[in-house]
Amino acid sequence: MRVVIGEDEALLREGLTLVLKQGGFEVVAAAGDADQLVRDAQRLQPELVVTDIRMPPGYTDEGLQAAVEIRRTMPQIAIVALSQHLQHQYASELLADQAAGVGYLLKQRIADIPTFCADLKRVCDGGTVLDPEVVALMVTRARNEQDGLQRLTGRQLDVLALMAEGRSNASIASTLSISAKAVVWHVSHIYDELGLPASNDDNRRVLAVIRYLDR
Amino acid sequence: MRTELGQGRSRRGSLKWALILLALTSALIAAVEIAVFADGDAFGPVWVNVLYAGAGLTYVTAGLVGWWRRPSNGLGVIMVFGGVSWLIVSLSSFEIPALAALAVVLATLPLAVVVHLVMAFPSGRLRSRARRWTVAFGYFVCLVLEIPLYVFAPAASSNGILAAGDHPHLATVGGWIQRGAGASCVVVAVALLGAQLRRATSAQRRVLGPLYFYGLGAVLFVPVAPDVIQPLTGLSNNAIGALQVAVLIGVPLAFVAGMLLGGFARAGEIQELGAWLGANASARPSLQRALANALGDDSVRLAYWVAKRGVYIDGRGRQIELPGPGSGRAHVTIELERRCIGAIVYDAVLIADSELVAAAGRVVAIALDRERLTADLLASREALRRSRDRVLRAGDRERRRIARNLHDGLQVKLVLLALESQRLAGQAGATPAIAEAAVALRAHIDLAAAELRELVHDVMPAPLIERGLGAATRDLVDRMPVPTRLDLGVNGMLPEPVSTAAYFVVAEALTNAVKHAQASSLSVRLTHHEGALTIEVSDDGIGGVAAGDGLGLRSLADRIDVLGGRLRIDSPDGQGTQIVAELPCES
Repeated sequence: MRVVIGEDEALLREGLTLVLKQGGFEVVAAAGDADQLVRDAQRLQPELVVTDIRMPPGYTDEGLQAAVEIRRTMPQIAIVALSQHLQHQYASELLADQAAGVGYLLKQRIADIPTFCADLKRVCDGGTVLDPEVVALMVTRARNEQDGLQRLTGRQLDVLALMAEGRSNASIASTLSISAKAVVWHVSHIYDELGLPASNDDNRRVLAVIRYLDR
Repeated sequence: MRTELGQGRSRRGSLKWALILLALTSALIAAVEIAVFADGDAFGPVWVNVLYAGAGLTYVTAGLVGWWRRPSNGLGVIMVFGGVSWLIVSLSSFEIPALAALAVVLATLPLAVVVHLVMAFPSGRLRSRARRWTVAFGYFVCLVLEIPLYVFAPAASSNGILAAGDHPHLATVGGWIQRGAGASCVVVAVALLGAQLRRATSAQRRVLGPLYFYGLGAVLFVPVAPDVIQPLTGLSNNAIGALQVAVLIGVPLAFVAGMLLGGFARAGEIQELGAWLGANASARPSLQRALANALGDDSVRLAYWVAKRGVYIDGRGRQIELPGPGSGRAHVTIELERRCIGAIVYDAVLIADSELVAAAGRVVAIALDRERLTADLLASREALRRSRDRVLRAGDRERRRIARNLHDGLQVKLVLLALESQRLAGQAGATPAIAEAAVALRAHIDLAAAELRELVHDVMPAPLIERGLGAATRDLVDRMPVPTRLDLGVNGMLPEPVSTAAYFVVAEALTNAVKHAQASSLSVRLTHHEGALTIEVSDDGIGGVAAGDGLGLRSLADRIDVLGGRLRIDSPDGQGTQIVAELPCES
């Protein structure tokens, strides 16, 4: 799988390249600033772009702007944005048009190489991966603002959060140490409370949850 | 500066209108008199009568000028009074018996007024009992000792309406008594004024001497002219009358000139400033205004000397430069106890005599020194505010620098370290125990990185730098563990110190509400309206928060104070807390 990296910090750029190679990705370019990243993506048409949000020249959110631009002009390219800190608003902007093929993770997650590579692959397959911290932010926010979440139990909120992260029922079951059947029961209850259409497809249900949380 | 004049200015305004009305009324009376004389409806030749009315107008005009220029000097009033007496005396030629009679009764009043004028010069006040008695005696001679002259002589008034009988001898005796008394009054006056002249400086003497001589000389000349001048020169009665009037017309002109110009100008101005110093502090106009009035130069400015900085400042504490040569403006420095306290800057074209300004400066030196201290205080307060502002900005700059360094340095290193330990775990040849330890190490590094993220966020939150106040506040609210309503009325980037202060107000208020207030719901409101940013944070907690509570609230209050804003904390026990901060902020 062909990847273009956007990262201005040289050591991290090398580290990221190594991790991706180890995970079976082919790094075709590594850009040091946002403009270069957009140009590389246009020229090389990779399957995936992994970029830092904070990039030169302004060192604010140039990487995010580049990601949004790539998404608008080349929607077939999957995008994973990395950041030192997470903001709900950045997630909203990334997910704005369509949440398929989008990831938003803390930079620190790179170090957990197997999980990180698995997340990238899921995004390449059209999935959505959100950092647990972002999901937690979204759930807090939604809980403060909306009635639906108030009626969910603690366990159901845990399941909801994992759903938003893009986990499958099996993965949720093993994370929470409950049976797959219990997960299905929780999920259907969550759908009922939130008024979301039931669906078995992992990706579609993530989108539904995100749309709910982000509204 | 005009708004500061307040009461002083409005009082001067009403004085102006009073004087204008007085001028118009006098002019009208004189005009009526002249019209009547010209109609031939009077005794005697027209020109003599017109001369009388003209004398009245001259006195009134000179008096009004003096009154306006030196409102607190009584000379102007005395001259106007003299002018009115002249206008009444002019009525003697009228055919209306009552008016003509009134003129006869007051016939010599103008002479008493001249005595009054001389005795009151230059201050306008009768400053000793002897002077007051002398002037009162003068009025007595002219009003009471005049009575036998018309009561015993029917010819004095038309148809003799004032006469009680025809006793020419009594009238003659009365006349002699009046002249004798009048002469003795003048002798007393000469003695008093002579004593004053001896005490006066030579400069004052040069001007006071001729004026006193002329005034009293005129008073003596008028009664004796018919008896002494006429036999010597053989002039007609009318010519003698005209000569008397001419001598008396010169008096107000000489005195008003003496009052306003030359050495007496100084006396008058200092008098004005003295009156200003004596006035109630709350009612008087500013010192600068008082000087401008006294010196007759509206452009007068005060400069206060700040010795420790070696600069001049204005009344608001701002540094100013004194005018250089060729600018048309000049200055005199003012000293108090041999040290420079300030300067008066004035129009060099309008005021040629710098000694005049210096004299005025000496009078107000103490008042100026007091105002200097006020200005100095304002200046150091402004300097203090600036320095606090610089400290605050430096602090924020430092926060940003630390946040950036942690972000670019330590955070990146932690990612790399975690990456390294994870790769160590996956390396071929690693025993399961080593691999497990390496993964655990990675997890610990991740925890350290998470702590560092929070630290960086607390020092200077990234959303504030990257997206501004609105986004940063939204981010804060997103992270709240209790339902928090956000009403965001700001858009676009605000000035850095304002948005930083506002952010920390919201952050501190929210933290307090969650930590101490046991609140179950919160609300945050930011509004930007008419050059002010208002931040309101309210909760439904237990209340009882006071402004001095905790380092957080105190440092917030400091921040807001430096920016010229206000912080209000409303926190009754058991009824929640509302914190409202207002920051000036031009959009």
